[in-house]
Amino acid sequence: MLRIDPRDAVPIWKQIEEGLRRLVGAGSLRPGRPVPSVRDLARELRVNPMTVSKAYQRLADGGVFVVRRGEGTFVAEGPPQLTRAERAKTMREAASRYVSLAATLGVSKDEAAREVAAAWDGTRRGRGEE
Amino acid sequence: MSGGEADVVSVEGLAVRYGPRTVLEGVSFQVPRGSVFALLGRNGTGKSSLVRCALGLQKPARGGVRLFGEDAWVSRKRAMGRVGVVPEQPDAPPEMTAGELLAFCAPFYPTWNGTAARDRLERYAVPRGVPFGRLSKGQKGAVMLALALAASPELLVLDDPTLGLDAVARRALYDELIGELADRGTTALVTTHDLDGIEPIADRVAVLHAAQLVVNETLDGLKGRFRRIRCGPSPAPFSWEPFESITAVEKDWGREAVVGNFTEERRAAFMARAGSDNVEVVALSLEEIFLSLAGTAGGLS
Repeated sequence: MLRIDPRDAVPIWKQIEEGLRRLVGAGSLRPGRPVPSVRDLARELRVNPMTVSKAYQRLADGGVFVVRRGEGTFVAEGPPQLTRAERAKTMREAASRYVSLAATLGVSKDEAAREVAAAWDGTRRGRGEE
Repeated sequence: MSGGEADVVSVEGLAVRYGPRTVLEGVSFQVPRGSVFALLGRNGTGKSSLVRCALGLQKPARGGVRLFGEDAWVSRKRAMGRVGVVPEQPDAPPEMTAGELLAFCAPFYPTWNGTAARDRLERYAVPRGVPFGRLSKGQKGAVMLALALAASPELLVLDDPTLGLDAVARRALYDELIGELADRGTTALVTTHDLDGIEPIADRVAVLHAAQLVVNETLDGLKGRFRRIRCGPSPAPFSWEPFESITAVEKDWGREAVVGNFTEERRAAFMARAGSDNVEVVALSLEEIFLSLAGTAGGLS
């Protein structure tokens, strides 16, 4: 489900954040359902609990998770409530990272666009929205 | 939990000498509350001397260590009630059983949690009735860890805790450490040679080399600035600029360097000169970073 690579250049908290975002996006973590406790996920991934906390905090700030005091952390019921500008900024940054990677691999613009379309379809299929 | 000091341990201009030999010189760093601080260095670089100074067991030649804001050498007695230690060599009276050791230590600590300690021994499968001296290396380590955690310490000092442990015992130790961090937010100072094991847990890293501190920063920061860069054949004169190379070698296919000042801007500048399809940039594990820093002196010393 959630895999991290401590040797990767991407910080672990970011790998966790992006991995959980992916699981929510693909519907593996369903809206309204509780997410694992920081302690459990830290032990499962064998990482510092503060690292998991940081990822959870960012997901809560981003509206992907909601924290209910005394109850725990849950997947938000709807898509995160972001302003149009925040959403555009997030998408632009992610796209820029992806394009940099594609460019350093020598991938063409068309090929990169095809991969985006394929990933989009794969994610939708996972959610049963085909 | 008493004391709100931001830094649980503060090493200030520490120098340690054994006769004419200088083991540490001018070493300074802080262990912030709640952090997991990995102190790395080859054998003989003074890690254990530093730990002894931090625990008030050794008087520095110069400088000192503050524990919870107080000098460790002067205020050892007061500070040690708040510190749990797993020493490099498990050390306890060989004729006492694990249960007897727990009962013996309990009265010294107001924060002692005997139930948790007995649960841990059970979890580690340490036999109750066997004297300490007859336990295996892993079991002795497990007893030391149970004793250290039983006092609900604010600071946990682990001096090469995985030394001599098999894979199962090592995993159990990290599980225990992660649980402790999650439950109590304990600060940890860890010396270790198990870089792969500590990499996902540490948040700050310091490296001792030739009696001095050559690295002291967050693990994310350290990993962000180190890269291995490979560059195919390129016209002379060649330069790694704007990178600063820690180690650089010539290969049949070109050249390779480990650089310690990587940024995306520098990557772009270097690629513009060297040709982007001629350059490969690879992230490094903590172990690879350590090897490039501490391995430059080379050899089995």
